[in-house]
Amino acid sequence: MNDALHDLPPGIAQAQAAELVAESIVVQFQGLMAISDVSLKVERHEIFGLIGPNGAGKTTLVNCLTGFQRPSTGRVLLAGEDTTGWRPDKFRKQGIARTFQAGRLFRDMTVAENVEVTALGLGMSRRAAHEHAMAMLAWVGLADKADAVAGTLPYTDERRVGIARAMVMSPAFVLLDEPAAGMSDAECDDLMHTIVAIPKEFTCGVLLIEHNMGVIMGVCDRIHVLDGGRTIAQGLPAEIRSDANVISAYLGMEG
Amino acid sequence: MKSGTRPSLVRRFWPLVALCLVVTAIVALGSLGNDELQVTITEMMIRLVVVVGIYLFIGNSGILSFGHIGFMCIGAYAAAWATVDPTWKQMMLTGLPDFLQNNQYGFLPAVAGGGLLAAFVALLLGSAIMRLSGIAGSIATFAFLAIVQSVYSNWESVTAATSSIIGVPTVVGPWVAWLFAIGALVLAYVFQISRFGLMLRASRDDEVAAKSSAVGIVKVRLIAFVVSAFIVGVAGALYAHFLGILTADTFYLSLTFVTLAMLVVGGVGSLTGAVTGVIVVTVVVEVLRHMEAGVAVGATNLHLPQGSQEIGLGIIMALVMIFRPSGLARGREVPWPFTPAARRAKVPAV
Repeated sequence: MNDALHDLPPGIAQAQAAELVAESIVVQFQGLMAISDVSLKVERHEIFGLIGPNGAGKTTLVNCLTGFQRPSTGRVLLAGEDTTGWRPDKFRKQGIARTFQAGRLFRDMTVAENVEVTALGLGMSRRAAHEHAMAMLAWVGLADKADAVAGTLPYTDERRVGIARAMVMSPAFVLLDEPAAGMSDAECDDLMHTIVAIPKEFTCGVLLIEHNMGVIMGVCDRIHVLDGGRTIAQGLPAEIRSDANVISAYLGMEG
Repeated sequence: MKSGTRPSLVRRFWPLVALCLVVTAIVALGSLGNDELQVTITEMMIRLVVVVGIYLFIGNSGILSFGHIGFMCIGAYAAAWATVDPTWKQMMLTGLPDFLQNNQYGFLPAVAGGGLLAAFVALLLGSAIMRLSGIAGSIATFAFLAIVQSVYSNWESVTAATSSIIGVPTVVGPWVAWLFAIGALVLAYVFQISRFGLMLRASRDDEVAAKSSAVGIVKVRLIAFVVSAFIVGVAGALYAHFLGILTADTFYLSLTFVTLAMLVVGGVGSLTGAVTGVIVVTVVVEVLRHMEAGVAVGATNLHLPQGSQEIGLGIIMALVMIFRPSGLARGREVPWPFTPAARRAKVPAV
């Protein structure tokens, strides 16, 4: 355990929620069914894989779980509490963090400031936020780029800053939307070492969206497969690997 | 400096110090000149307060506001209500509440009142429109400007409508205006490097990512809107006590255009840009104005046609937008002068 990551100022509590549940989520965009009746449960200690072909509804589901998309019907429960009506900043304050496929760094700000913003949003003082941000950057291996302008970072570093930003003040759950997209195998390996460490290092559940089947099978405790907005399989990696539906819908596609 | 260490206090406040020194130098030099120059310098300092106030909101939030001159109008009238001679008010402004109609207050309480009334109106307006993003928010601020204009030019018993409020004590000269300019610079800079400034700029760079970083966007925008309206309201009060006469027309489209032009020419992304814009545009407009009036060359008097000021300003804006789209200051603050040149390129804007 790296203590610098967990030294929070007095009066600032780490998020405590134990499970994140999606209950019969339906999302409809003007008649188009993006997600139909999907339920899942992520626990605090695990890495939960969410996979499926393009357009399967993975990102839409993550948007529901972080307050960016309101389900047409169904609920999201954090430790049993109904989150309906929470705004995205409230989700983050209650301990659900996320990253974005597009990176979405604050481009004109420094790398350190990018991470500090979350700490400030969560109520830390300016000084404490800076120290905490530096500890987070050291954790993802970017301490030496703290003063660089975020817009000048290479792609792989952008992703790492996004993860550092999400992990500020140890959220209860972090939702990583294709963090390794576009990376080489070696870069991807590197990143997965960081991600695998999250549950132990931060006592934080991880929901991981990823296309690379090898990666998913290697790091996930449980896997949930979506296709066309529906759940087609869920279970342990070994079960998913041999599931006939998954093979035809998803693995078959990859040749 | 080691990467990631927090810069020293002196270094963090260097851009502010540098800007204050420049502004002070301009006023000190101007105070040696003739009366006409003193008037120009005073007006420039008042506009600096306005533009810095507008910058505090637009620069940090990224939302263009066309409505801030409305706050200037509110501040100007509020201050005039306080300082004009009661006998005149009892005759002309019969709709004023007793405490204003029958009393005469000093300059400073009047300025404070002007700023506070503008801030209060901003709180009400902002609570409604800070939820809007992009062009919708900007149009709403423009509607606000039109409403203020319409109310202040028709409310006979309170604003004297199309006739003017006269007899506002003209107590604002270069050094009084300078004092408020410094105050506005300090307030804007402290806000910018504060936690609220950082969170607001995050929402400017990426609204979605800011929300997911636990930033309550409506709240931080509203704080900036209210502080910025306060500064602009104070500027309005100063302007009233500089002109001595108030008409609502003063606070409408042409002043909105000039102040936004200053901000855009200097660069909306930094306080240095706001100050640069005020200085450059003032100089350009003054030069063109003199040339409109005519310059004697030998026996002939050469002069530019009327309207050259506006055309010239338009051309300058176009050129700046073509060659420096982010303004003369390029969104950066005054750099720390003791960093080796090789490293300077890497030092980020505050």
